[in-house]
Amino acid sequence: MIVRTGLTGAFPRSEALVAATRDLDRGRTSADAVEELYRRTEAEVVELEQRLGFEGTTAGYLRWADLFRPFAETWEGFTVGPLTRWLETNTFYRQPILLAPPGRTPGAFASRLPPPTLESPGTARVLLPGPYSFAVMLDNRSGETEPALIHRLGRLLGDEVKELRGRGFSTFLFSEPQLVVRPPEGPRAEAVVAGYSAVQSALNGGTSVVWTYGADAAPAFPLLDRLPVSVVGVDLAETEVDQLPESATRRGLGLGVVDPRTTLEEDPAEVARVVRAAYARRRPSSVWLGPGARLDLLPWEPATRKLHVLPAVQKALAGASP
Amino acid sequence: MSDRPLFPTQEIGSLAKPRWQLLGQRSEPLDEPAKEELRSWDARVGFAREAPEVRDALLDGRPRDASPEAVRDLGALFALRYLETVGLTRVYDGEARRIEMYEYPIRQMRGFRFGGHVRSFDNKYYLKAAVTDEVRLDHPYHVDEFDFVKRHAHAEPKVPITGPYTLADWSYNEYYLARQRGWKGRSARRAAQKEFVVDIARRAIRPTLAALIDRGARVIQIDEPAAGTHPDEAAIVVDGFNAATDGLNAEFTMHICFSNYADLLPTLLEAKRCSQWAWEFANRDTAGHDGYEVLKTLTEYGDRREVGLGAVDVHRDPVESPEVVADRIRRASKYLGDPRRVWVNPDCGLRTRSLAVAYAKLESVVKGSALARAEFENPRR
Repeated sequence: MIVRTGLTGAFPRSEALVAATRDLDRGRTSADAVEELYRRTEAEVVELEQRLGFEGTTAGYLRWADLFRPFAETWEGFTVGPLTRWLETNTFYRQPILLAPPGRTPGAFASRLPPPTLESPGTARVLLPGPYSFAVMLDNRSGETEPALIHRLGRLLGDEVKELRGRGFSTFLFSEPQLVVRPPEGPRAEAVVAGYSAVQSALNGGTSVVWTYGADAAPAFPLLDRLPVSVVGVDLAETEVDQLPESATRRGLGLGVVDPRTTLEEDPAEVARVVRAAYARRRPSSVWLGPGARLDLLPWEPATRKLHVLPAVQKALAGASP
Repeated sequence: MSDRPLFPTQEIGSLAKPRWQLLGQRSEPLDEPAKEELRSWDARVGFAREAPEVRDALLDGRPRDASPEAVRDLGALFALRYLETVGLTRVYDGEARRIEMYEYPIRQMRGFRFGGHVRSFDNKYYLKAAVTDEVRLDHPYHVDEFDFVKRHAHAEPKVPITGPYTLADWSYNEYYLARQRGWKGRSARRAAQKEFVVDIARRAIRPTLAALIDRGARVIQIDEPAAGTHPDEAAIVVDGFNAATDGLNAEFTMHICFSNYADLLPTLLEAKRCSQWAWEFANRDTAGHDGYEVLKTLTEYGDRREVGLGAVDVHRDPVESPEVVADRIRRASKYLGDPRRVWVNPDCGLRTRSLAVAYAKLESVVKGSALARAEFENPRR
């Protein structure tokens, strides 16, 4: 069993960064001081990711206000809207408002990537919103139909992937909670497939990961299995392993085994047992282990502590591969 | 239901804290805007004369002569007189002593550990505790606060308290989840959440409610803003509510806001001792969308309880006219089939609005209720 590990979304800010960003808002510190702290904390996250043996580093995406903000602030057609609840959590994002058909500004999104990933793109994981979740979580006032918008966002994200491939990035993780929270059907489902086809054609040998969370993924598998992507990830805090389809897949299978909704640490032996069971049902080319959802639903300390289960599980699985 | 006039009015939660209170409780001298704020609201609602030493210490630049507790008392008096002067039937103290609705109750309990900040949005964060042991209550809380209100209120007091489901949902469940055997998937998490909620309800909320009732609380609002975030856990919300109020004799209302209420029904109706649903509606009552139509669902299920009707939006500054409020009351009365079931209130706490805007919105609540009352009591023939 080929097992890879890594982050699947934003990492929490350190307590020092929490204090500094609060102070910045209150005019009690300077932007330069906060920037310096961002750099130090990003380096800490990269060091943690490397120490834990993760495949690809993210630097935590600590600067992003939310998953959509880098796009809502840099792409054409958008403005930043009201606070909106992020799924079933007590956290919020500013809902992008789309006033006209969207367009991208070359280089703008790349400038929002964490500096450590820009310095080492070959080993970085790029976090992106999936086109479907993006389309249904924004306020669409553009006049474009939802299927057309999903497809268009897929093409634009494909253009971002193409640009980033040119800069040396190779692994792209699309955050797609809505694929399982509100599984698309009919033309919307076809638009999702078309959107990811556009991404696929821009990948040029790179790796695309679709990471789902927020609800049981089992009912969405007929569509998930059609997506032209390298890996499909599911959150095992929401999806029962015995509900995963038994059909084998040649793709990678992502398994969210670290639950950011609780500070309780996972038991490596129990995680390994569940991973083996999932592997037996899907027979994937590789298994990608990570947090089931955004780890920044936890504070820094428990998030850091909980990640240590991943190398422990990797070790438990080593030698047990069929 | 009682022999009150039609469409009685109430507040729902916190008010913005006046600047003079914030500075005064930190023993900082008041600046001119804070002094002017104190003077002008005193002229309008008449509260400071009840504590002249505190008022004078603040206005004369001697903040250290007024203890933080005395300033908080004055803040509570201010909110009481503010709400009474508007003309509300039921009042509280604008939660003048509370900073938020989660951390304070949790800190009155044992079994929890605060482990750092979680980002709410942008650069805003909140502390979130993990339950690491069985929940126990140190001592009932909000009791002194209620005593003060009871001593000073001229109108009927209603005390708000954060509900067990919300306290659990806003915490990390460690202890109860660890007791579940095997993989901590959905079903294990659900079972652990139920245990956690019911334990908070029985061990912490119920004794607190009992203490409040002993001190004379007759109307208690149980706030469950988290209820709407997991509609599939409505049964756990109900379990918590029933466990918290089990065997207690008071009028309990349940406040939920910014939720899709239809998703919580009919399960929520099993909250046995809840006599009033205090929900937000105005926020969703927009051109082309009737925000009150969901009340039909209550009627369809045969529920006959009172409704605390959110009639003004707490998230926008423009003040709804009394006519708009009256129209909302009219529609709600029609959907419920009985105007006697309608209480009128803001959607939620008004703490995000300025004191001036909040006052104007509450005036519309009172005037709109009076308009609707006049219509219902003297229908045109």
